[in-house]
Amino acid sequence: MQKIRFFSKKVDTLFTFRALYAIIGRKIEEVYAFLQEERTYSMKIDLNAMKDVLLSCEKPSRYTGGEFGSEEMPDSDLNFCMCLPDVYEVGMSNLGIKIVAKSLTDRGFCVDRCFAPWVDFGKALRENHIPLYSLQKKKPLAEFDMIGFSLQYELSYTNLLYMLDLAGIPLLRTERDEKYPVIVAGGPCTVNPEPMADFVDIFFIGDGEENDAEVAALYVKFKKGEIPDRHAFLEAAAKVPGVYVPALMEVEYNDDHTVRAFHGITHVKKAMIPDLDKAVYPDKLAVPNCEAVHDRVVIEVMRGCYRGCRFCQAGFIYRPVRPRGVDTLTKQACSLIRKTGYDEVSMNSLSTGDYPHLRELIRSLKAELPENVTLALPSLRVDSFDSEFAQDARRSSLTFAPEAGTQRLRDVINKDVTLEEILTAVGSAFDMGYYNVKLYFMLGLPTETDEDLLGIADIAKQISALYYSKKRKKQLRISISCATFIPKPFTPFQWERQASAEEIEHKQQVLREALRMRGVSLSWTDYFQAALEAMFARGDRRTGKVLLAAYKNGCIFDGWAECFSKEGWQNAFAETGVYPTEFTRAFAEEEILPWDFVDVLVTKEFYLRERRRAYQAKVTGSCMAGCKGCGIQREFTCHIPQNECPGAKKSGEETA
Amino acid sequence: MILFRYTKVDGAEYISHLDLFRQIDRTFRRAGIPVAMEGMGNHPKIFMNAPLGTGIQSLAEYCCADAAYDGDFIRIFNENAPKGVRCTAWTTVEKKVNLPVLIAWCDYRIEGLAHFDEEALLAEPEIVLTDKRDRVVEIRSKIHALYWDNGILCATLRSGNQTLRPDVLGEYLAARFGGKCGTIVKTTAKQEDMRELLK
Repeated sequence: MQKIRFFSKKVDTLFTFRALYAIIGRKIEEVYAFLQEERTYSMKIDLNAMKDVLLSCEKPSRYTGGEFGSEEMPDSDLNFCMCLPDVYEVGMSNLGIKIVAKSLTDRGFCVDRCFAPWVDFGKALRENHIPLYSLQKKKPLAEFDMIGFSLQYELSYTNLLYMLDLAGIPLLRTERDEKYPVIVAGGPCTVNPEPMADFVDIFFIGDGEENDAEVAALYVKFKKGEIPDRHAFLEAAAKVPGVYVPALMEVEYNDDHTVRAFHGITHVKKAMIPDLDKAVYPDKLAVPNCEAVHDRVVIEVMRGCYRGCRFCQAGFIYRPVRPRGVDTLTKQACSLIRKTGYDEVSMNSLSTGDYPHLRELIRSLKAELPENVTLALPSLRVDSFDSEFAQDARRSSLTFAPEAGTQRLRDVINKDVTLEEILTAVGSAFDMGYYNVKLYFMLGLPTETDEDLLGIADIAKQISALYYSKKRKKQLRISISCATFIPKPFTPFQWERQASAEEIEHKQQVLREALRMRGVSLSWTDYFQAALEAMFARGDRRTGKVLLAAYKNGCIFDGWAECFSKEGWQNAFAETGVYPTEFTRAFAEEEILPWDFVDVLVTKEFYLRERRRAYQAKVTGSCMAGCKGCGIQREFTCHIPQNECPGAKKSGEETA
Repeated sequence: MILFRYTKVDGAEYISHLDLFRQIDRTFRRAGIPVAMEGMGNHPKIFMNAPLGTGIQSLAEYCCADAAYDGDFIRIFNENAPKGVRCTAWTTVEKKVNLPVLIAWCDYRIEGLAHFDEEALLAEPEIVLTDKRDRVVEIRSKIHALYWDNGILCATLRSGNQTLRPDVLGEYLAARFGGKCGTIVKTTAKQEDMRELLK
């Protein structure tokens, strides 16, 4: 195999001696500078030479590229590598990175892809001194101008460090000079970018359809010398809507580690695309070599959600609701089905049942798509469940998310569904032949008591009684899944504390006792991981130190149970002196929150008002019943479907 | 029915057999050639030859699909197939061809092995090795021919039910005679009738 010359911390010994020989008698700084220059050698990974490495790993087709629909683009003024810090099967299913890639390729830039290698391949790359490379061009990541990461969930953060490390790129932004690629990040987690501020040069907050390409164009100017240096480039980038440059902001802390003040650029407003029909959307997709998590065509029917569930971060950060038109969606679905060969179209959004023209869309898709293509409707709410929609899904199991066991607690979280609606939806599903029901709940919600937990068992009993009230062929199976509540930034619950491990354990015990019923299974998420998620969702810059320490302790793929190292994290807390309890605590309403410099267009006053209403168990209801004055209306005329939407209810009694 | 030969090279050799099945199904869909479906799960009627070990390249994979096409099948297939999967010949047949049974022997080229006396090896009454599943197996009867071509070992090995994986043989030979089992390419699937079909 070709010896790989790669010069960050891992300098090839033989080459070092050659280099020393070439410039013998010079200072070590000059030797190092020489090596750094040599790094610019262009290199391509040879798959044939990597045969043994690939065959030593599970699913080698994750690392070979060549998928139908992907193309090897020639180098351009800006060479961009789009990364998702998770495995190939997850990354290839992500729509966001495809949108970003399309927005860049439309402007003539070269875009490639890379995902986190599974632990076996990562180890093999290290042992064989092969740098992490892109899938299409097989080019080391360090040779790109810009590397973009999509941050989808907090437990993928260490994987970003893992990928940079495998690429031989210094992890800390302060250790990277102009010879290294600019590291950028987008995705939902960037609404609180602070835990990653030590590692990422530029964050994109909000919709990424336009601002990423604007920053790319600025980089080209920098590369051509029209912008004098990297700092000037970062300053220019920071002026683009939705762009946050951590190097241009300093955070001052109080003695108790709360934020005292932000200095520098202290206000970053998220980018927002007002009309999705005019927004860029991929016209072809790379069809994965091996089965992906979502192996189907995905159309995004709308962005945002009308509902305003008080725990749901996505429901607030993706506001306002922007539906795509039926014609646009039909064209996108038909084109992608033809170009990919998939046999399923998934109509995605945060609450697809609320899409104002759902029936029209289903009719249009059925008329235009080939006969053997099925339609999938994820994210259906119980109150928008309709037998017409369910039949299209052709599944044996249905999933509903009541989130809380009693009406009181559902009112607290503004989950505006009643037990009667749950039973009606489940009942129609049973009559259509469904016999598996999955129910999602959360444990540790604000004001939750044991009575609310017993309410979960009561729902299960009522569903069971409903099923067996008629003669059915199969035995009913109810799967109850309980996640630990995480008080996320940019929600009315952002100030709440997360329940402690002991409290959650007690709640699980109560549920275990109450749910000893035939055909009912109960599962829950690990508390330690939930606390970590809270730590990095609500974290400040100090949490970056924990991430780095945990990565050095071997923590990667933290969202994967088989890889999770509790010990590695506990050691990282001890080494840095930063513990999750500092971030799972209740935040005071008057304190400056670590993410307060980010503006997602919803006002703090609205969150506070909603918090008060939560404690009064008052439902605010959905935007469909009228504007609630969240703040978005200051900049955008919201699309409120009122009567045209099947899910519209007149439940919201208050308008602002 | 369409019977066709295709390659599995240029990275496609790392796609597993089951994933390749899905890729071929999708290639037909993209090409707009409907394939008949069967069974409860509504599976496409696509029949492939015996699975090729992951990482082994091939110039001679065969597939039979319950579909009809009267245009330039090679062009339409290749325009819609992933990289490294290329149709090189095709014909129509009246009924399903049982490829794993029909293809009894295959030719391979194995690179990287140290030279040894292949005739002496073939003269041995039996060759016993431990396969990838830790089973002790006798393989002499599964080797039809061995010869050298410009330093590359060419082997004709049993395929189908009694298959001998070329990588298993290659690793055995490397361990016994030296060198390293490098790139392996399946060059021909040997069955007179099929050669006739895809002439």
